[in-house]
Amino acid sequence: MLYKSSWCGEGPLRHRSNQYPELDCAAPLVRIERLSKQYVQRGALTRSKVTVQALDQATLTIRRGTTLALVGESGSGKSTLARCLALLEKPSAGAIWFAGDNLTEMNSKNLLPFHRRIQLIFQDPTSALNPRLSAAEIVMEPLAIQGEGTKLWRRRRALEMMEAVGLPARWEHKRPLEFSGGQRQRIAIARALALEPELLILDEALSSLDLANQEMLLQLLADLQAAHTLTYLHISHDLRLVAQCADEVAVMNQRTIVEQQSALELFARPRHRYTQELLEAMPSLESICLERSA
Amino acid sequence: MTHRHKLWAAFVLLACLHALVFFAGFFAPYDFATQNRDLTFAPPTRIHFVDAQGRFHARPFVYGLRNDPASAGYSVDQTRVYPIRFFSRGSTYRFGRVFPSGLHPFGVDDPGRLFLMGSDAFGRDQFSRFLYGGRISLMAGWIAAALSLLIGMIVGTLAGFYGGWIDHILMRGGELFLALPWLYLLFAVRAALPLHIAEWQVFLLLVAVMGLVGWARPARLIRGVVLSAKERNFVLAARGFGASDMHVICRHVLPQTWGVVLTQMTLLIPQYVLAEVTLSFLGLGASEPIPSWGTLLAALQQYYVLSSFWWMFLPAILLLPVFLLYYAAADALQERLASVPL
Amino acid sequence: MKYFAQRVIHATALLLAISFFSFALVELAPGDYFDSMRLNPEISQQAVAGMRSQYGLDQPLLIRYERWLAALLHGQLGVSLASRGPVGPVLRLRARNTLLLSGTATLFAWLLALPIGIWSATKRNGWADRFWGLATSALLTVPDLVVFLGLLLVAVRTGWFPTGGMRTEATGGLGYWSDAKDFARHLILPALAVALVSVPILIRHIRAAMIEALESPFLRAARGHGIANSRLLFRYALPAASNPLISLLGFSVATMLSASALAEIVLGWPGLGPLLVESILSKDVYLVVAIVMLSSVFLVAGNLLADLLLFASDPRIRME
Repeated sequence: MLYKSSWCGEGPLRHRSNQYPELDCAAPLVRIERLSKQYVQRGALTRSKVTVQALDQATLTIRRGTTLALVGESGSGKSTLARCLALLEKPSAGAIWFAGDNLTEMNSKNLLPFHRRIQLIFQDPTSALNPRLSAAEIVMEPLAIQGEGTKLWRRRRALEMMEAVGLPARWEHKRPLEFSGGQRQRIAIARALALEPELLILDEALSSLDLANQEMLLQLLADLQAAHTLTYLHISHDLRLVAQCADEVAVMNQRTIVEQQSALELFARPRHRYTQELLEAMPSLESICLERSA
Repeated sequence: MTHRHKLWAAFVLLACLHALVFFAGFFAPYDFATQNRDLTFAPPTRIHFVDAQGRFHARPFVYGLRNDPASAGYSVDQTRVYPIRFFSRGSTYRFGRVFPSGLHPFGVDDPGRLFLMGSDAFGRDQFSRFLYGGRISLMAGWIAAALSLLIGMIVGTLAGFYGGWIDHILMRGGELFLALPWLYLLFAVRAALPLHIAEWQVFLLLVAVMGLVGWARPARLIRGVVLSAKERNFVLAARGFGASDMHVICRHVLPQTWGVVLTQMTLLIPQYVLAEVTLSFLGLGASEPIPSWGTLLAALQQYYVLSSFWWMFLPAILLLPVFLLYYAAADALQERLASVPL
Repeated sequence: MKYFAQRVIHATALLLAISFFSFALVELAPGDYFDSMRLNPEISQQAVAGMRSQYGLDQPLLIRYERWLAALLHGQLGVSLASRGPVGPVLRLRARNTLLLSGTATLFAWLLALPIGIWSATKRNGWADRFWGLATSALLTVPDLVVFLGLLLVAVRTGWFPTGGMRTEATGGLGYWSDAKDFARHLILPALAVALVSVPILIRHIRAAMIEALESPFLRAARGHGIANSRLLFRYALPAASNPLISLLGFSVATMLSASALAEIVLGWPGLGPLLVESILSKDVYLVVAIVMLSSVFLVAGNLLADLLLFASDPRIRME
């Protein structure tokens, strides 16, 4: 087990130490090349077709064991990228390489094992969990879908996962409605981890939580990453969050990736004009207080 | 009364009704086909506790009837007294189609007759015929409703889940069924079947066909539920684990439809019972000797029956509480389902 | 106009599909009109076969359908096997009677339901509203058949209404006015019957539509301006509620048709309903198909009418 320390501190800028320089030379776990996605919408009554470009030639790489943060404003295509990567949508053009395999050229039968290795966590935990199932059943479901083991074994594993995310096993029969928002997100994480994925995509997963819960979950995620060498794609519009946990940052604007750098580099020396604007728009607490008192 | 209590009350009463009808062999004092040619159109038998001499009897009794040419009806013959026996032996029936038995909760010895609801043109006991007839009518309602719902579920789920041209074709097909007024559609479908249905198996065929006719409306409702259910994030999450369509449908989408299915069931059953009653009433459904609530009502089409024999109208009146119970159950169910948070 | 053309095309396609559907359905029935004749030893098999081919009953399904469709385009609806004459005239007469009945029943129903619905909406949760709510629920529980039989019972026992037929044979020719009165007396019972079974649902819908209109923000604003209640009701709320009510009018054609079919049979009004039952019992193929088609023509026409009325009355639809 590789151990990687996480850090938390105060202030907007963080320093993230890279203790494993050898990973720089390793082939990236994920390589997305010129990914494009179009949606065709029919007008409701006019029957005209409107083509919406959701992704336009986006390119990015993610290295194993690191956290890549994807930032950008709403509508820039972050969620679409996440869904394409999570194999929930089929891209219109481009390629997705995962550990040396081209996912875009596979049929659904061959893609099945990849569904285990890539998992997606949604922004709203309430809608992502079936309210009629109990917590244990929710966490067991991916194991059942992938046909793992017996029912007994699955249940034990589900309880293990619940414990791993900090939920007591005796809560296995509770329904999602009986949990708080932060706890529901933990259930979602437990479910995602049940299949031991290599890549975890967090689509604004912490945005709907309050700061205290965010901190706790960030800590949990960092611990899990350290324990299981997980790779994270963290999608967020919150730069403070990004600064706390990202190794590398990719910036999305106008449905394409405009810049990808290590976090330090990006915050210190942003290259693209949009990134600069983004960073300038984020004031620190001190500067806000300074402005107001003036 | 909370809706929970209402629901339980309605279901319990419905269960009692169905038990009465299901065990018609036991509860009905006479067989549905036994004729008494000398007692045609006899009024409901009066039950007495006090006899002609003014003595009180703990066990109720009835008098015999004899033909009275003067009033063109019957007059009571007080010389013939028949006490009502409880758990008496009467006409035989088969319990569960296997065990023959003659046990009934009440009855009178031959040649006395206990006509709780009077008798019809052939002297057959209306009460017994009502119970036996309920079997046919209610069973027809249940089977047809179940069939309609099953087809509606399949069609609605397919159309809602897969969308596209499947949805288009299925919904257009449903429109076809909805474009005819239901009675005309029923008649048209009935026209496709052989006219005289004496065997009850063939009658079931009729019922099945009835059920095939009404799938369009439930299908539409279920399609709506499926459409909204398949967009939910937990369905997407399941797909993220590589779930097949079948898994998603069975585990996540269909459970969302149970509410609609249940309420539709309670609404469809009375509709189909009524359809069977209407068909039998018109002579297009069950025919002699099978009794059905419809055939019981058919006698009312004759002028002299309506004007002279008031008890023949009783089956019509007794239909009211049956439908009332079903509608009350449907209402209570809807309230209950609406209050469950999802 | 495009809106309209679309609707009409759709309706025509639907009717075509229904025509084939009902044709095929009746064809599925085993045996045919000449069954009883076959059993008659006096009529030879050749004669029966000859009659069959004369009516074209020995051709395969598709050919018969084609021929029927071709004839339809010429205005011919086929031949009634029972009356040996064309279907058209028989149908016309009965259809007229059914339309008369349905029309009058619709009039009665709305005349009853509108005031009650509006009153219930204005006096919401008051004793009147509760009373009518209970009454409508009670009436809804009673099956149509029982309502009709009940009315028949009343007619027979009290003798207030004639039972059956459209006019009393004996009095024919006594003059136009008495003829008309006689006709009206015969019409009242069936029309009342059909109206009675439709009224409860109508009341519910009218009440709901009126309540929605009465609670809408624009009405509250108008009330705040001090406009009198009666004016509010008739000049503001009612027009606002008319949208759902107009579509209700169009769609109620369907239930009205079914209800009137049954009422005609039970109460003896010579309309399409009894004719349909007779023709089914005698396997008069072309007549059955014609009646079924006609009923769906009425229904589709009713829906089209509802669409038209909505289009004309609701500017929001015109905008789309």
